[in-house]
Amino acid sequence: MKAATTDAEARPAEFSRGLRASTPVLIGLIPAALVLGAQAAAKGITPLAVPLMTGLNFAGGSEFAAVGLWTSPPHLLLIAGVTLLVNSRHLVMGAGLAPWLRHLPRRRVLPALFLMVDESWAMALADAKASPPAGGFSMRYFLGVSSGLYVAWVGFTALGAQLGPALGHIERWGFDLAFPAVFLVLLRGMWKGAAAALPWLVSLIVAASVHLALPGAWYVPAGALSGLLAAWTMARP
Amino acid sequence: MIDGWTIGTIVLMASATYLTRIGGYLVLGGRTLSPRVLAVLETAPGCVLLSVIAPFFVSGRVADMVALALTGLAAARLPLLPTVLIGIGSAAVMRSILG
Repeated sequence: MKAATTDAEARPAEFSRGLRASTPVLIGLIPAALVLGAQAAAKGITPLAVPLMTGLNFAGGSEFAAVGLWTSPPHLLLIAGVTLLVNSRHLVMGAGLAPWLRHLPRRRVLPALFLMVDESWAMALADAKASPPAGGFSMRYFLGVSSGLYVAWVGFTALGAQLGPALGHIERWGFDLAFPAVFLVLLRGMWKGAAAALPWLVSLIVAASVHLALPGAWYVPAGALSGLLAAWTMARP
Repeated sequence: MIDGWTIGTIVLMASATYLTRIGGYLVLGGRTLSPRVLAVLETAPGCVLLSVIAPFFVSGRVADMVALALTGLAAARLPLLPTVLIGIGSAAVMRSILG
């Protein structure tokens, strides 16, 4: 398979090119990381457990959801299940990346995919499509982008967890509204028109009704699964 | 420093995430997904996020409803940090006015 190894792959400068490309993304990532760290601290997650979570999981949306549902002790299966559903988009992303990774052995691809997030996936794919026909996907560029995001995410969530308790008194004023605020901004990023959002409305209505009717966190799986069922029913077979 | 149940939750959560990262490459890489499966996979994150915050929509507290509406308006236009600040600020102001 050596012949298929691309020129871009051989250049050692590719990693630092990726690292540099990641810096504009940090403008949006760093405040989000600080907010997540502070929210986690407010939920009683210890300052050491916060970078453990963000370093092992490294997927912001699911971490906001987990922190939002966090109790002491946490509902292990609920949080794992919600994480699986929030991150299910990775399945589509990985499938889309697969044709570009055919020249690489699995032992290189599987560890690298640990770092795949929305931004690094999109940037590496755009880079692969823009480079000359022989260029293709640059693994070192992808790792450069991803590493920059990873270090910043873990570092600034840890910092947010340290700073969080200093902001603790804000909680009784309205700090809890930070959760819906973050989620609504994430939703805007996923918005694909009112028709596509109908399953979201189904989720919201079912989850709210179940929350009013039953104690505990059953409203999360009930709302999520109703929305998925609605999406399945609405879509072309 | 960190209790076992927290570590277990984090490890299970991280395993679930890593499965989604490698699953698409390993299992779906060679196949074309039906539009229906694609639609469900694309809709799933939004369904989960809205389900998680659903209790905020039915809290029954007028101050929180107003704050949530203002936060929603902000989220439609502004970046993350200003939206979070508006969310926190509007809740603080509305609660002190309306109780």
